[in-house]
Amino acid sequence: MEGELGDFRVAVRKKARYVDEAKCTGCGACAEKCPTATSDAYNLGLANSKAIYRYFAQGIPSTYTIDAAQCRNFQPGKKCGVCAKVCQAGAIDYTQTDQVLEVSAGAIILATGYELFDAGRVPEYGYGRIQNVITALEFERLLSASGPTHGHVYRISDIRLKEEIPELEKSVQKAQRGLERFEKQFGQASGEFFSQYSQGKLTGEDFDKWAEQVKLTKKMEEELGEKKSRAETIEAAHKIAFIQCVGSRDMRFNRYCSGFCCMHAIKEAIIAREHDHEAQVSIFGMDIRAVGKGFEEYRNRGAKEAGLNYIRSRVAEITEDKDLSPVIWYEDTKAREVKAMPVDLVVLATACEPGAGVEMLAQIVGVSLNDFGFIETNPLQPLDTTRKGIFVCGCAQSPMDIPESVAQASSAAARAAQVLSGSGSMRLAS
Amino acid sequence: MNRDVLVIGGGIAGIQASLDLAEMGFKVSLVERLPSIGGKMSQLDKTFPTNDCAL
Repeated sequence: MEGELGDFRVAVRKKARYVDEAKCTGCGACAEKCPTATSDAYNLGLANSKAIYRYFAQGIPSTYTIDAAQCRNFQPGKKCGVCAKVCQAGAIDYTQTDQVLEVSAGAIILATGYELFDAGRVPEYGYGRIQNVITALEFERLLSASGPTHGHVYRISDIRLKEEIPELEKSVQKAQRGLERFEKQFGQASGEFFSQYSQGKLTGEDFDKWAEQVKLTKKMEEELGEKKSRAETIEAAHKIAFIQCVGSRDMRFNRYCSGFCCMHAIKEAIIAREHDHEAQVSIFGMDIRAVGKGFEEYRNRGAKEAGLNYIRSRVAEITEDKDLSPVIWYEDTKAREVKAMPVDLVVLATACEPGAGVEMLAQIVGVSLNDFGFIETNPLQPLDTTRKGIFVCGCAQSPMDIPESVAQASSAAARAAQVLSGSGSMRLAS
Repeated sequence: MNRDVLVIGGGIAGIQASLDLAEMGFKVSLVERLPSIGGKMSQLDKTFPTNDCAL
């Protein structure tokens, strides 16, 4: 980026979608036929997407995009082209390249938002190791009617179990076909053969192979049967624990409070109870920060309507039971006892951190970051960065909830308009 | 003085700032790294304290 207030010249890389935006109608035929499954980033890996995809169904623009890193057509030696064949609008264009556009502007507004703290950095909570410990954003996806479970809150271990069954069925069918080949070759049923073999009446390499196949097939059939019967008894995750301040208010990671997590935990608890009347929800926090209009009432509503159990505690450790239930070890600060609470699902409220790439962005546009890594502003001029003509709003400036982000965004727009109209003084941040 | 504005980030804050500026008559370029705008808010189910839908 070059220039200054009133005359910024910014080089922006427009990444190739490999889909012509002017032609794509968003019909989705390409994604339906695409043979490459990918991990769905929007659903945080809880569902699968395709190499040609839309970030989410209602996304604007509705143009599809090809993830070149995953698409077979872009890997050396592989050829696909299915999406181009089925696209009625002829919108697929594998020859597209990234373009560098020069954008000129009088003012710039940074609204790069935030990233969530990686819960795997807190080893005692077991995120990444214990299946049924998830983050709040992952829980939001489970709660969503358009999410991977259509709004049903299941234990992750149960979701995985259900996913394993079709794959296992295919494997069992393949194994059974293997048995049929032997049966045809020797003109005997596998069961009869196996009892003779076990008695030592039949020897030879071929019979050894057949016997192996019989054992393997039986093992797989048993596994399938066991998994199917377990899957039939799957219920919603009734006991849910919300752990606050994961990565926030923590001398090891971020010293600050992330502001909105107590509220979203209460929200998630209320909605979980709406979806499941048997839900038993607990929230473990040092304190509950419900600072805003109607927020204390919301907190009380959580207790009254959702039976939300507020437990004043900083959770020490989460372990895993044999049945894959997470167990929460905590101090009951009222009774002054260490207790263990097994639950179905643990939801971690992870810290709000500066957006990915914000360090590089700050360098490119020439603004300073504060000690916490957010865009530096003067508390009396929270929209102005350390560079004239560049303003900031939302979580890029500091953790804040949606109404605050929206209000600050409108303010930043007004500030930019004020300065560009020549009517406002450009008081520097420092 | 160039009166166009560049907004970096297409989440709820970037969208709101862009809309306000556009309605005021400024030409706005909105840059977003993901294939669609909406940011984190598009991944939420409901918002507090009203429990309105996020999307």
